[in-house]
Amino acid sequence: MSDPLVLELREQFATPEQQRHTSSIGIWLFLMTEVMMFGGLFVAYTVYRFNHPQAFAQGSAEMDIVLGSINSAILLTSSLTMGLAEFSAKFGRVRLSGILLFTTILIGLAFLGIKFTEYYEHYQQHEAPGVWFNHVGPHAPEVQMFFVFYFLMTGLHAVHMSIGILLLLGLIARNMVGSFSAAYHTPITVVGLYWHFVDIVWIFLYVIFYLPGLHK
Amino acid sequence: MIQAVAPKIEKNYLNEKVGLLSWLLTTDHKRIAILYTFSITVFFFIGGFFALMMRLELLSPRNWLVSAETYNKLFTMHGIIMVWFFLIPSIPGTLGNFLIPMMVGAKDVAFPKLNLLSWYIFMLGGGVTVYALFRGGVDTGWTFYTPFSTTYSTTYVVAAAVGIFIAGFSTILTALNFIATIHSMRAPGLTWFKLPIFVWSMYANSVVLILNTPVLAITLVMLAVERIFTVGIFDPALGGDPVLFQHMFWFYSHPAVYTMVLPAMAVISEIVPAFSRKPLFGYKAVAFSSIAIAVVGFLVWGHHMFVAGESVYSALAFSFLSYCVAVPSAIKVFNWTATIHGGSVSWDTPMLYAIGFIGLFTIGGMTGLFLAALGLDVHVHDTYFVIAHFHYIMVGGSVMAFLGGVHYWWPKISGKMYPEGLARLSALIVFIGFNLTFFPQFVLGYLGMPRRYAAYPEEFQMLHVLSTAGATILGVGYVLPLCYLIWAWHYGRDATPNPWRATGLEWKSSSPPPTHNFEVTPIVTAKLPYDYEAMKEELELV
Amino acid sequence: MSGPSRKTYFLTYVGLLGLLLVNTLIAFVNLGWFSTVIAIGLATIMACLVAGILMHGFYEAKIVQIIIAGGVIFFLIMMSLTMNDYFTRGWLPFHTP
Repeated sequence: MSDPLVLELREQFATPEQQRHTSSIGIWLFLMTEVMMFGGLFVAYTVYRFNHPQAFAQGSAEMDIVLGSINSAILLTSSLTMGLAEFSAKFGRVRLSGILLFTTILIGLAFLGIKFTEYYEHYQQHEAPGVWFNHVGPHAPEVQMFFVFYFLMTGLHAVHMSIGILLLLGLIARNMVGSFSAAYHTPITVVGLYWHFVDIVWIFLYVIFYLPGLHK
Repeated sequence: MIQAVAPKIEKNYLNEKVGLLSWLLTTDHKRIAILYTFSITVFFFIGGFFALMMRLELLSPRNWLVSAETYNKLFTMHGIIMVWFFLIPSIPGTLGNFLIPMMVGAKDVAFPKLNLLSWYIFMLGGGVTVYALFRGGVDTGWTFYTPFSTTYSTTYVVAAAVGIFIAGFSTILTALNFIATIHSMRAPGLTWFKLPIFVWSMYANSVVLILNTPVLAITLVMLAVERIFTVGIFDPALGGDPVLFQHMFWFYSHPAVYTMVLPAMAVISEIVPAFSRKPLFGYKAVAFSSIAIAVVGFLVWGHHMFVAGESVYSALAFSFLSYCVAVPSAIKVFNWTATIHGGSVSWDTPMLYAIGFIGLFTIGGMTGLFLAALGLDVHVHDTYFVIAHFHYIMVGGSVMAFLGGVHYWWPKISGKMYPEGLARLSALIVFIGFNLTFFPQFVLGYLGMPRRYAAYPEEFQMLHVLSTAGATILGVGYVLPLCYLIWAWHYGRDATPNPWRATGLEWKSSSPPPTHNFEVTPIVTAKLPYDYEAMKEELELV
Repeated sequence: MSGPSRKTYFLTYVGLLGLLLVNTLIAFVNLGWFSTVIAIGLATIMACLVAGILMHGFYEAKIVQIIIAGGVIFFLIMMSLTMNDYFTRGWLPFHTP
């Protein structure tokens, strides 16, 4: 019984296919809870943007569109490398898969680096909400509301990115001791799903925070 | 198999491993169910203690026992503990955990380690909340309405919110586990329409929990961020809208009400056919009404905000949708009564609780329609009428069903029978105590007694005294089962595998079941669920 | 299990970058409320590409596709019924927001 698939079969399952199907349902259900969690923030953002359109446009005009766009492209690239890592693992090329996972981590870290550069710029311009906020001009409280959601939503996104990077590190460690093969690479697929989902969230965050300020 | 005389002590999930660690590190869904039973019982009596203190305070029109501030904390902690640490995890955590894998004929849930983790997360959340309680409590009401909770309250709001936030993950993990289990772990031959209604209802319940709990989590995060950083997410002075908090909170909490009663309906749908000796009337209608409740339950949350500044047009839509959600609930009630009709009914304790549930749930549901009516809601909003309404659903519904379910499956869980006479008596005490506690509150509310006040005009005293008297009787009705069930665990007579002669895979296994539930994976050949007709013929043959 | 080929991965990536560029450029033109519609619409297409191809949504079992649709639908329910309140606030003359 040297088949790795059989070795990885948990006792509550009858077949490897049943186990794969179940874990697929499990991770997708988990991702739907994430949809609803970010969804709550998107609803709150929409309500306030509907109530204070000018203030939100004003706040959005303070965004760094260059850094934001570069960051979006970077994150999409990380999704490609993640996807290719799954693809390689599927065909048993686990060494290549490991290299691609490592690349994904580096790209993810670059994203977080740029993100924190942006945060720091906003902080220096007194745009961080709370006691640090000091905005002159009309609609100051509502502009602060824009930044509350900017920091809350991109911050929550960054937390998810960090968790994703930790998960990727775990995958690389397991890959090094030879846990994965063409027959068994479910953890790579599962972490990949999570990583791509975080990417989708960013696509919408980019649209709602960076773009409205461009056309004034 | 006549020659194979069973040895006196068979190996089962209770005695296969011993010691505290074997319980704390178990991944067996049946043992995790016992862990949940233990913890929610503790939380139930903590929450019950607060209720008792409130009822005692309300004996007199003036503050004679506690100050108004303490009273605020009492009803808040009663609500928080009862909702998040008793009602929501009660039936899913205990009976759901124990029964779903058995009913689908599986060895365990889909993710056993996650199941154990979920209990630890639940205990962590409970621990944080109890910490908030001991540090001085919370006084916002269990709904945490802004701006009081974010700006004015000086109590431990954030700590309590963190406790509930953590417990939410436990709920999500359990729900995820159930859905995955029901989808992919069913025994050969067990198609969707052969599943017990218990499984259908728990499935609908899990779907609701997966979709609404994350919204509560993020709402509490926003509340905590506003309170800690004073940024005014829900503060009108800073461009916020307090009604948005209510929208998001009730998007969670109204479906959450259905997650308290769907598991109760699950239990009742098992008990009623078993004690009427008839197949459940309208199986498919009952099954799909669970799904309908889950879906339509998400469309009605705005009826909590009719007088909170919600737009009138929105209120109209929510009022209409609230009437719609009564339809699937009514379908269930009619089908249960149709099942009882013409059956050979035996009045064992679980059936007594089930009959009580049907009556009280109907009253609770009908008064819900009063509250969904736009005009009438203005009159009775935030009065004792509302309190009475939701206690008829949550206590008269969920707690009765929980007790009924615990009695029904007690032989399976513990392998022992409970004392039937005492159990019938305590079911009667619970029913009388409950009605005496909460029926006067309908009258109180209609006469204009607002909720959440420690003092009140003297003309209400009579009704309040009645209610407190009822609460005392109810308390006795809850302590009795605790005592005799613990007694029965040690001294009850041994239960046969199927003491109620009920259908369902869980009764095919021994009592208590072995660690992997079944000696051999069951293969379902029955054409119908609840096939009591076939069983009757079988018994006549014997 | 079937899944996208390597070529599909790269084509999707190029498509995503293209859509990102288009979305950013269009945002410089002021089209009123329609700007938001275009921005969200293009982002939704990008999200579908990621979910369908990179996350194998198009290749998955039906039940998984139902789960995805369910999550999105319930998010839309939360969004639309909440916004329904805010859209209709102040439609009545005596209502003070």
